[in-house]
Amino acid sequence: MSALTGKQRVQKLFKREPVDTMPCFSGQGAVVIQAIEKMGTKFAKIHTDARLLAESAITSARIFNMDAVVIPYDMAAVAEAMGRGISLYDGADGIIYPTVPNKWKNLDEIDIPKDYLSRGRLPMIDEAFKIIKQEAPDLGVGAWVLGPFTLAGQIMELDILLKGLKKQKEQIEIFLDQVTQVTVDMVKHYQTLDVDFISVRDMGSGTDLLSPRMWKTLVGPNLKKVFDAITCVPSVNHICGSTDMIIEMMHECGANALSVDQKNNVALTREKLGNDVLLFGNFDPYKTLTQLEDVKEVEAVIKQCIDNGLDAVWPGCDIWPDVKKENMEAYVRTVKEYGKKASPAVGRI
Amino acid sequence: MSAQEEILAALKQAVVDYEEDDCAEAAQRALDEGVDPMLAVMEGLAAGMEEVGVLFDTNEYFVPEVLMCADALYKGLDILRPHITLQTDAPKASVVIGSIQGDVHDIGKNLVKMMFDVAGWDVYDLGRDVPLEAFVEKQLDVKSDVLAMSAMMTTTMMGMKKVIAMVKEKNPDCLIMLGGAPVTRDVANLFGADGYAESAGNAVSEGIKMIGRLREYQKGDIK
Repeated sequence: MSALTGKQRVQKLFKREPVDTMPCFSGQGAVVIQAIEKMGTKFAKIHTDARLLAESAITSARIFNMDAVVIPYDMAAVAEAMGRGISLYDGADGIIYPTVPNKWKNLDEIDIPKDYLSRGRLPMIDEAFKIIKQEAPDLGVGAWVLGPFTLAGQIMELDILLKGLKKQKEQIEIFLDQVTQVTVDMVKHYQTLDVDFISVRDMGSGTDLLSPRMWKTLVGPNLKKVFDAITCVPSVNHICGSTDMIIEMMHECGANALSVDQKNNVALTREKLGNDVLLFGNFDPYKTLTQLEDVKEVEAVIKQCIDNGLDAVWPGCDIWPDVKKENMEAYVRTVKEYGKKASPAVGRI
Repeated sequence: MSAQEEILAALKQAVVDYEEDDCAEAAQRALDEGVDPMLAVMEGLAAGMEEVGVLFDTNEYFVPEVLMCADALYKGLDILRPHITLQTDAPKASVVIGSIQGDVHDIGKNLVKMMFDVAGWDVYDLGRDVPLEAFVEKQLDVKSDVLAMSAMMTTTMMGMKKVIAMVKEKNPDCLIMLGGAPVTRDVANLFGADGYAESAGNAVSEGIKMIGRLREYQKGDIK
């Protein structure tokens, strides 16, 4: 039997069908500087042009033999489409991700335009998906959206939102309902683009910020609505930061897979959730791919992730684009070699 | 319990219960009844924030509660601070603080700023999404003792390294503090910083612990 393509490997993983080896991919940004340099462009330019966005994703995957791509790279696209603006930092040196400069400052100001799906860069991102599917049919294609709570923090001031959870609970609940509908619209839209998976990243909702009780009442139910709306594509529930206290509730939201970062005790999570759950994570991307001096240390980190019971080794956050080439190679190589043995939820061919 | 002790307890409780109006009222009472305003700040407001730190460390309070406690503290501080008379021969420390370019988050930064405000430092708050050069220009302009920078995401952390290099080159005596979710002790050392707070959560703990040390210092417990 010939080797699987990256797309096949990713698709089988989500179906929990046996694969030849563990696919190496991410639901977090995985664009790397080596690709940007090879294309002769700058990081600040790849967020606004469909061709550059698609090409940077494909080139990053090709250089390091990753199995899938995921776009876009920044968190600001939906907020920008709602008229909150965009800071691209195109005059700055080095790598700075786009941000949202004009968040709403109170609940009374909020006015979500009905046609946001056709505004800002969202149509351009759709076009980038089409280019990727045409030009790299062998690669898995991932889309991602912000979870409702994190999206809420992208369009209104976070401290107002956090304090509002206690001071203006009813109004905040209504606002979160509105934002949840936006996320539902987004995931429905991405399903029509026939992507291979959708990752919902509510990265601002971990227990570094919120109590488990708040998560249970204000985050979990809204995430469940989002996952209920993802009916024909595999889904991933990703939260970074502290998740040990909410991991069972994350699982109850109904995604096909869970993704956590390095703060999660994966061995314990696996014990809590059992072997049938697809579990992804959880290495520190900056430390592992940018800082470690010896590829043997990288290999050890990745092997530990697999030994702890993960079904795919995902970075806990976006890969910092300025990775060391040899560290990135060691990451992918170790996943593919050490990942030949079955993982808890997925067997091997 | 003496009237002074009652007022200090009321200030402390108002911060813990995040009751802004109660805190303002207790602060005004402190002034009206002749309580030393510095004592009211340290043994009332700061003591309350220390207890908030304990509640945070034991997962009874989370960031929303801490933010509201900070609001209550500032209500009292705004009333008390104008009445604090500094000894003319006492050195007054200063800090330039801000969130680095590319980072629009400022919760951790604001909590650390609170610590400097309580301590009575001159605080130059540059806000968030601050261009690298603005940190350098302001530090060199006001010659602050400390430069404090925050980055909530890995994606903005690298800018800190450039600022540290620029400031240390021109003013090697300036102490540099880093904070934010992606900043570890290793990163702080690698970048040439003098101190760090690891995350929004740790900024809360670290900021409050600094307040605790400040209170001990004021009491002459440590030198």
